[in-house]
Amino acid sequence: MHIALEYAGTIGVGGLKDVALTVVSLILSIILGTLFALGRLYGPWPVRTLIYWYVEIIRGLPAILQLFIIYFGFTQWGINFSPLTAALIWLVAYGTGYAVEIFRSGIMEIPTGQREAAAALGLSSRTTMIRVVVPQAYAIMLPPLTSFVVLQLKNTTLLYLIGFADIMYEARLGVDATNHAAILYFMAALAYLILSLIIGRVGVRLERNVAAYR
Amino acid sequence: MSNDVVIRADRLSKRFGTLTVFEDVSIEVKKREVVAIIGPSGAGKSTFIRCINYLHTFNQGTLEILGHTIVGGHNHPSKDVLQDIRTRVGMVFQTFNLFPHLNVIENITLAPVEVKKVPRAQANARAMELLEMVGLPHKAEMYPKRLSGGEQQRVAICRALAMEPEVMLFDEPTSMLDPELVGEVLAAIRRLAKEGMTMVLVTHEMQFAKEVADTVVIMADHGVVEKGPAREVLESPRTERAQSFLHRVLNPEEVPDPLEQEVLPIGGRR
Ligand SMILES: Nc1ncnc2c1ncn2[C@@H]1O[C@H](COP(=O)(O)OP(=O)(O)OP(=O)(O)O)[C@@H](O)[C@H]1O
Ligand SMILES: [Mg+2]
Repeated sequence: MHIALEYAGTIGVGGLKDVALTVVSLILSIILGTLFALGRLYGPWPVRTLIYWYVEIIRGLPAILQLFIIYFGFTQWGINFSPLTAALIWLVAYGTGYAVEIFRSGIMEIPTGQREAAAALGLSSRTTMIRVVVPQAYAIMLPPLTSFVVLQLKNTTLLYLIGFADIMYEARLGVDATNHAAILYFMAALAYLILSLIIGRVGVRLERNVAAYR
Repeated sequence: MSNDVVIRADRLSKRFGTLTVFEDVSIEVKKREVVAIIGPSGAGKSTFIRCINYLHTFNQGTLEILGHTIVGGHNHPSKDVLQDIRTRVGMVFQTFNLFPHLNVIENITLAPVEVKKVPRAQANARAMELLEMVGLPHKAEMYPKRLSGGEQQRVAICRALAMEPEVMLFDEPTSMLDPELVGEVLAAIRRLAKEGMTMVLVTHEMQFAKEVADTVVIMADHGVVEKGPAREVLESPRTERAQSFLHRVLNPEEVPDPLEQEVLPIGGRR
């Protein structure tokens, strides 16, 4: 059992890094995703086309390939990202691609009567977006958003491939050093499970809050 | 436009693609006048009333409203003109359309605070006054979902009135309500009429139209088939189309079931 104790610390620290990375990339993805979704829906056609293809590429290409292009591909042009920078760029780029679609369908689900009521009151289209449409879209988005957060957390497992020292990376190092694959991977699994349960809980909480009006 | 006329629609026509909703509809609404628009389903009443505050564009004709002139078909009115019209014209929808993520008082104060820059405290005080008027001050903190349809519609009326409009548009404000909730909404509208609010009201409540409206307009078959003083139009319509519509509305039990003629007698032979 001492193997578990020995590695609990490093795997825990790896977990914290994963959490930090997920949270930061998530916030950025949601902001960018919101803007991109608005651009995709209401922007001029070049913006709409650009965002359309961005989403297609992010969702169409294998995740590892995207990560490798950012981390290894760019070195060809002398751009060397640290594992942390590359990890962050990829998680944000990838997350944004998914957030755009989640957010876009959230906006499209809002009945036209809402926008008409706002227009009839003389609200500008900007105010209508900010005060009427976007808040309701966030509420609609919550369930898919929760699964999206779990997906992003799981995506961090790929980061060990570029040497980012997260849960997966520490567990892998431990296995190489001690040959205790079962116990160490089990610990990594437990760490991910706990984290996704927490995310699920937070999601349910938020949904319950908005249930007051939905 | 004579000073007294608030809205003048002159030969307005509206098409959705190839579908002609109405053609050459002309009406005039004077200050403090209540105009009721009635007519069969699909006649274009909702579409027409939405043209008045330009929620719908129209293809032909001229709309003069509160000193602005909009010509159909060509250039849209500027943002400033639209905003001026919409802040001065209130609208109440068939489906209430309250903002579900805002509570009652936030629903009512959103536009005054955002559009007219009324100080929050003053907007809240005015909202409470309006809620008192419709008998709902105790619901101020509730979300729309928790209110009955009749209560939601009364809040929607307050929301429109909070902008201190000069004209109110109502599009079948009671047709989504259970019968026992219709009265409370009609009472609020009746009070507005008594206070001299200028109103255009699309309704299926003939009795109510007769009571509050000065003028009744009957729309059918893509246009206005009759208009005039409420009592005259409703009690002794001149055109045949108006007569048949009113007869059907007032005697619904006499309307034959279109399916009935298809029913074969038992045994299968006619
Ligand atoms: N956005 C739209 N696009 C295409 N057609 C529409 C649209 N809105 C309404 N219509 C059509 O225009 C016609 C008139 O509709 P409208 O809702 O104005 O009738 P109405 O007189 O208000 O009927 P009701 O009494 O049932 O409310 C209908 O045939 C309807 O299908
Ligand atoms: Mg209608």
